[in-house]
Amino acid sequence: MDVETVEARAGPREFGPGDDMPEEYRKAATRMIQFHANSEIMGAYLERPFIREAPSIDRKLAFSAKVQDEIGHGQLLYRAAEELGVKTREQMLDELARGEGKFLNCFHYPMERWEETPMIAFFVDGAAMRRQATLKRTSWEPYAHAMDKICFEEGFHIKHGESILRELMTGPRAVQERTQAAFEEWWPRILQFFGPTDDQSTHHDFSAAVGLKTMTNDALRQAFLNAYVPKARQYGLELPDEPRVYRDAETDRWVVEQDDLDWDEFWTVAKNDYDGSHVQIGKRERTQEAVEWVRDAIESPGQGGVTPAAADD
Amino acid sequence: MSPDRSTDAPEPGSLGGPDDLDDETRTAVEAELRCLADDDFVVAERYTEWQVRGPTLEADIGIGNIAQDELGHARLWYDLLEDFGHDETDLVWEADPGDFRHATLVELPFETGDWADCVVRSYLYDHYEELRLEALRESSYPRIVDRVGKVLGEEPYHREHAENWLERLAEDAGGRRRLQEALDRLYPHALTLFEPTDQEDAIVALGIRREPLDVLREEWRAIVVPVLAGLGLEVPEGDDADLLPDARGRDGTHTDAWEPLFHEFTHTYHDLGREEAVSLMPDPDEADV
Amino acid sequence: MRWEVFRQDKKKDYHTYVGTVHAPNAELAKQYAEVQHGRRKPTNSLWIVPKDAVETVYADDPGVEFGGTTQKDYRWATAYSTDETFAEEIEASQREQEEAERDIAEADR
Repeated sequence: MDVETVEARAGPREFGPGDDMPEEYRKAATRMIQFHANSEIMGAYLERPFIREAPSIDRKLAFSAKVQDEIGHGQLLYRAAEELGVKTREQMLDELARGEGKFLNCFHYPMERWEETPMIAFFVDGAAMRRQATLKRTSWEPYAHAMDKICFEEGFHIKHGESILRELMTGPRAVQERTQAAFEEWWPRILQFFGPTDDQSTHHDFSAAVGLKTMTNDALRQAFLNAYVPKARQYGLELPDEPRVYRDAETDRWVVEQDDLDWDEFWTVAKNDYDGSHVQIGKRERTQEAVEWVRDAIESPGQGGVTPAAADD
Repeated sequence: MSPDRSTDAPEPGSLGGPDDLDDETRTAVEAELRCLADDDFVVAERYTEWQVRGPTLEADIGIGNIAQDELGHARLWYDLLEDFGHDETDLVWEADPGDFRHATLVELPFETGDWADCVVRSYLYDHYEELRLEALRESSYPRIVDRVGKVLGEEPYHREHAENWLERLAEDAGGRRRLQEALDRLYPHALTLFEPTDQEDAIVALGIRREPLDVLREEWRAIVVPVLAGLGLEVPEGDDADLLPDARGRDGTHTDAWEPLFHEFTHTYHDLGREEAVSLMPDPDEADV
Repeated sequence: MRWEVFRQDKKKDYHTYVGTVHAPNAELAKQYAEVQHGRRKPTNSLWIVPKDAVETVYADDPGVEFGGTTQKDYRWATAYSTDETFAEEIEASQREQEEAERDIAEADR
């Protein structure tokens, strides 16, 4: 199939492993799904310590279940990417550990306090879920199938995050203040989740033309702000003075003042070159290397091993 | 049925509810529950260290599930202690680390990447757990009987998971070496699973548990030793008294690993100024457990 | 040799199990599956898998408890009392979970 045919046929779940897809499509889809899968893994890295920190048994169970789901989502997404025939799961995981795999900007920053957890578990996941809902209509069928299951599960994550936020903002004054401080720290990163508003992204046009992406970043940003700014306010969180975010009365649309956001940092993050990137990727690399021996042992059992039967001889 | 079984112990389920117990019986029931709850709570706390760090994505999802099962079991046992006027706060979050009665096996940290430790620990623990829980099926305390079946329902998966990995790793020379190292380190601590509390005699005499721990230990050894030997592993030999670590867990003494872990999992609770532990689920008595 | 056959009715659908064919090799298995399972029902594609390659787990197998035997409410959006209707995608997820919980309860009965 040539690119013109792909563009002409592009639609929800239009293409699958049985289709002869052009290299441009396979590469673009791999890049997009690999990014998504990597983000699931790296997000789970940030959240894992809070299984231990959780201040009740039920919260601990919920955090463990959420991290488990995220790894499950990574598993589904790497499969959807593998089906494109460009890279295997092992290659993609190795790239992630080597610092060559890209992932969501928010997961390059450290998360150290419980008050920060809803910034990811409610706002970032809420933004991600908004995007994922639109990807049920992506043109790569295995990706859409992964979205069916991910979107099914994800509602629990957002509600869990919101319930933590509600608990914090109805807690002691000092806790509310720390939560507000965490919000102010994370809010610019959350706004950058959808990229710059004047995005001249080189990937977008092609991805949209072949139906991989079904909604522009700007439309997603609008939908996110519509839903989540009132939520923040409902719980008593105040939007910081900067970055300026407001609703334009004339166009009835949200405006995010681009000059108030640190785009140099954003692009450094995008290149995996931010300080936090090195820390997070380093963790991934070390833990992956530490279990390398297990994968070696099960894939090619070395000399001198005994099978249960042989041991009786 | 073991000859050690106390024949004049009360009939299964005959002790009545929490308010029907005399002080002596109540103390014995609490001691048994405390061991069950703390073992499951702490083993789960350690298992979660493997989340996002498992050897494969599938193993990661699997160990997370096992951790949730065990923590859910701890929740059920702590809930039975709440019948006696406790709550989750004083049992866990505002407890003293010395209040905990788990075996030292479950509190030891994992070295990064030491999946063999996780496999061996789980294998030793899950077989112990099955035996102890089976001995509770006909407990004289009916609240335990009500819940033990549901808890046992989730245990075969844990045992099979550990056994499958054990066999798989033993097929590789390097894997077997790591299993051996883990077994040498963990086996003495596994023996503390069978260490008695000061209520052991009462627990057995009152039929709260149908088998004494030293009988369970021999049953356990009869299961695990041949399997481990069959995989080419050497089980540490010697008198239990010589093998046992200094800290026994069941008497409130613990290894150096315990207090740091305790502070790690309780510090956010204090940092947030909490006075109660938030529940997200209905009380087990309100749910179909 | 026995092969398990999964049919996809039309593009974008999931494959579902439809039955078997007996055939001595993969080429003949594909040909027989085409006529046995694809000749009348709408068919976009077939997956044909050697029977021996298919492992199975049944809910009533000993030791098997899909979803566990103790409370796991924390995995469900329905366990959290916040309002899901502020975002359509969260509401949709919650409705799907409610449906799944009903189906599970039904199956347990």
